[in-house]
Amino acid sequence: MALFSNTATLLSKELRTEFRSRELLTTTSVFILIVLVLFSFATNPGTEEARQFAPGLLWLAILFASSLMFQSCFLREQVNDTLSSLRLAVSDPFAIFLAKLIANTLFLLLTEALMLPFFAIFYNISLWSKLPALSLVLLLGSVGIAVAGTAISAISAQARMRELLLPLLLLPLLTPVLVVSATVTGSLLDRDPVVQWKGIAFLGVFDVVFLTALWIFGQYFLEE
Amino acid sequence: MTKRILLGVVATALIIAAAYANFYIAPTERTMGVIQRIFYFHAATAWAGEMVFFVCFVANLLYVWKREQKYDWLGVTCAEVGLACITIVLITGPIWAKPVWGIYWTWDARLTSTFVLWLLYVSYLLLRTLIEEPGRRALLSALFGIFAFLDVPLVFFSIRWWRTQHPAPVIMGGQGSGLDPTMKKVFFFNVLVMHIFCLFLIVERYVLEKLRHDVDLLQREAEVQ
Amino acid sequence: MKNLDSVFAAYVVGWGIFFIFFISIVRRTSALRSEVDRLKNSLPRGK
Repeated sequence: MALFSNTATLLSKELRTEFRSRELLTTTSVFILIVLVLFSFATNPGTEEARQFAPGLLWLAILFASSLMFQSCFLREQVNDTLSSLRLAVSDPFAIFLAKLIANTLFLLLTEALMLPFFAIFYNISLWSKLPALSLVLLLGSVGIAVAGTAISAISAQARMRELLLPLLLLPLLTPVLVVSATVTGSLLDRDPVVQWKGIAFLGVFDVVFLTALWIFGQYFLEE
Repeated sequence: MTKRILLGVVATALIIAAAYANFYIAPTERTMGVIQRIFYFHAATAWAGEMVFFVCFVANLLYVWKREQKYDWLGVTCAEVGLACITIVLITGPIWAKPVWGIYWTWDARLTSTFVLWLLYVSYLLLRTLIEEPGRRALLSALFGIFAFLDVPLVFFSIRWWRTQHPAPVIMGGQGSGLDPTMKKVFFFNVLVMHIFCLFLIVERYVLEKLRHDVDLLQREAEVQ
Repeated sequence: MKNLDSVFAAYVVGWGIFFIFFISIVRRTSALRSEVDRLKNSLPRGK
């Protein structure tokens, strides 16, 4: 189908662009690291309370990092004026969104993977046994963040004060993801770990709702 | 014009009637006493505000679909009126809560989602000020408005299912069940009154938006001369 | 009656906000109306 081939082409372009310079990945990873370190200074690391806050802090760090990471998503096209050529290159404008969305999810997951070992070390939490379930939560949460982030990035790129506007628009939208992901991650990393399937299902629902909305309305974000 | 004045007069009369009902017809609540009378104004405003935001959502959808300016005007109008309502709800709630339950605020599902709703529509209005071109502004804010409205039930349920601790004080009118019949009548009268008053505000604000557009047109004509 | 001042405060603040909102609309409307008249008069006749 044209959508898939278009998306595949655009996705490889996104990935190639990023992996050539790797600037987005490196800066975002370092940023999450800095945020985690700052959280340690703000709280009292190593204590039992710090362990309780750790999952929430992890997801906060991911949220902050994403609101930086998605700045360049559509801004890059605007600056180089490549958006019109992109639109001409595809038959379905949703392909542009889908490609960026998948790329953003991958970048987010990569930075999370890079940062997880540090998180485990800083907060003295063993992640190995819980890795499958944790990966699922990270995946569903990251997809939700990426869907909303890509949509908002398209909006903020066309407005003034976009650096401030993107987090302003994005973070309230992502409240459900923060709440549920933090809670599910928390119960996963607990002394007696429990997999909250209802929470994982909820994250899935969030992803589906916003993906559907993006699919229906995506073409309008990029109108001339 | 006369229809607008009539609406304003009717709304004012109804507000006075509601105030009378709130203080003289509704019986005093047994446990909370006089302070419970805030509930009629507070909860009715909340319901009206939510209805206004729903109209905003519909206006946003209609704009994206039909691209007629009037839907954009209706959208921004409802966003402002709704925001006024929710601001009042967020202020009168704590005024009521503090003497009764000893706390100004709690992070239960209703309060949190109301606050997030407030933040989202403040962002909606802020977004509009940051886009100059009217067509683009209308489209992008309508799209954001749609996403924002879809998000609110998700916020509500995420808090309700994963953040409710011990029985939190029912601050915002969960008293629909087991409400005294007179109180119920007074409450629903308030709901009607607040809807009519919001309708009046929407009409006035919509006229303002249309006027703004007329001024823009005239200014552009004058520049051409 | 205890807490009557809280009731009073809530109603005053609530209606105060609505009142301020309404007044701001009225003021902006009348300002724009005079602007419309000014612009209409400044445009050449027969337009």
